[in-house]
Amino acid sequence: MVLERAVPAPPTGAPPRRWTSIGEQPPAPAAVVRATVLVAGALFVLAPIVWAVLSSFKTATELAQRPPTLIPQNPTGANYVEALTAFDFGHYFLNSTLVTVLATLLTLAVNAMAAYALAKYNFRGRDTLFLVTLATIMIPLQVIFLPVYQVVTSLGLVNTLWGMIIPAAATPTGVFLLRQYMLSLPDDLIEAARIDGAGEFRIFLRIILPLCRPALAVVAIFSVIWRWNDFLWPLIIAQDESVYTLPVALARFSGQLVVPFHLVLAMSVLSIVPVVVLFLLLQRQIIAGIAQTGFK
Amino acid sequence: MTRSWTGPRVAPYLFILPNMLLFGAFTIWPAINGFNISLYDSDNGRTFRYVGTENYAEIVSSAEFWRVARLTVVFVIGLVVLTTVAATALALLLNAQRRGRGALRAAYFVPFLVSPVVVGLIWNLALERQNGLVNTALQAVGLGAPGWLLDGGLAMGVIIVVGLWTQVGFYALIVLAGLQGIDRGLYEAARIDGAGTWQQLRLITLPLLRPTTLVVVILATIHAFQAFDYIYTLTGGGPLGATTLIVQFIYESSFESPIRYGLASAAGVVLFVVVFGVTALNYLVGRRQEAV
Repeated sequence: MVLERAVPAPPTGAPPRRWTSIGEQPPAPAAVVRATVLVAGALFVLAPIVWAVLSSFKTATELAQRPPTLIPQNPTGANYVEALTAFDFGHYFLNSTLVTVLATLLTLAVNAMAAYALAKYNFRGRDTLFLVTLATIMIPLQVIFLPVYQVVTSLGLVNTLWGMIIPAAATPTGVFLLRQYMLSLPDDLIEAARIDGAGEFRIFLRIILPLCRPALAVVAIFSVIWRWNDFLWPLIIAQDESVYTLPVALARFSGQLVVPFHLVLAMSVLSIVPVVVLFLLLQRQIIAGIAQTGFK
Repeated sequence: MTRSWTGPRVAPYLFILPNMLLFGAFTIWPAINGFNISLYDSDNGRTFRYVGTENYAEIVSSAEFWRVARLTVVFVIGLVVLTTVAATALALLLNAQRRGRGALRAAYFVPFLVSPVVVGLIWNLALERQNGLVNTALQAVGLGAPGWLLDGGLAMGVIIVVGLWTQVGFYALIVLAGLQGIDRGLYEAARIDGAGTWQQLRLITLPLLRPTTLVVVILATIHAFQAFDYIYTLTGGGPLGATTLIVQFIYESSFESPIRYGLASAAGVVLFVVVFGVTALNYLVGRRQEAV
């Protein structure tokens, strides 16, 4: 009798389903709704980009076709070939790459040095300089681009790639992020190196920089995203086609009377690829970097 | 012990010098100079004449400036409120989601990586009246085909929603980091006390998330006031100036005929004061709520 009671009553109706991939328990209705909302939202968010990528493989005639097609009927890479050869987009691509790489290297060097001074030295005026650095976050380029333009003009940097590289190199967020990271490094390391007779710059180069690799990676990634996508400043500086960066060239071409949409689309897609690939490769560091600092 | 120029006493100044030179030349000096320029009027960018506060007086009495300012306020409030609410909701959903969280997080982040110029171009094509993605989809389910970029009110909505599209993934990451900083023990205690999901959200999560929300509001406000690039390629400020915000107003006064450097700089100073004021207000109000 007792035994009988211990055996659970057989389920009435259909046997219980097993969600083997999730576990023994069927998912709660709330979890199903949540997952559906998240996936549907992600599809909506990605739809314009996916659509642009698909469209970049359509011919100009198919792009103008009505009703529009979703999947290219005769996928072709001709738009990419034409954009890169006939329209010199390869040159703009190279300009963008040069500006991005050089500006990022300069940003890393200058910001890391400043951050080291602010994090590991006691010197007169340190707190003032740190506050000044932070305050510059509040001064957007849009408000001061005219006087910046004058400075760049007087230095003879208008219409040069250097005019895009140098002015934006010192970033307050970079200094802040690197300083926070360096504060966590033990002072004993530096003291020990000094006793061993290492010079100040040597300590920075050989001990501090290698230890800061994760923080440097985050600053580098954000610098790459900003520089690669930067528009307003290169638009002002680049008056000659030979120094156009990709965003400037794209904006100029789409501002024409007859816009070559098939080419603009191909180049837009090509401009997205490097940063997306970089993001996917370094996703973990980027997210940790944002999480650590809140990017304040 | 000798103190060479590379010794610990001089070294920090040498370390910070390059950064300060760049900040000085390209941020601090221009900021001071920008205020100076705002006190002059120029003859289409050539000769400068001292006019004192005349540019400011002209701005204050200019109907065009107030129109642009009003549009900017609508845009900033709309975008900041939407961004904060959407990023918080998205982060809460992502935080609860176990399977595929990384991929979902990446999917929402991708638009943040796209150049604002390209954002404008893609959406311009997607919202094209006859042939675009959006209207094609709407017509497929039997809805109308509005001219998104041809109607002023709709176009303002479009630039707000596209702004949200580009940045919600980035702010959701910040909120996610904030959520992960909340002590799990609090939820267990609340569950034992019989609090439901909704009560946990209202009584634990949202109050403890307030410092993060403050960061999101402040950053989103600064970004919204500075929005320019994607609007420039999406609507060009149109139709009929319905999406011309203050940054574009400054840009056009500086670089498009008639060039009014002084007026542009005065508008820049006004923008800076407003952004500074709004940021300080956000901060103070946010801090006070936290203290309560």
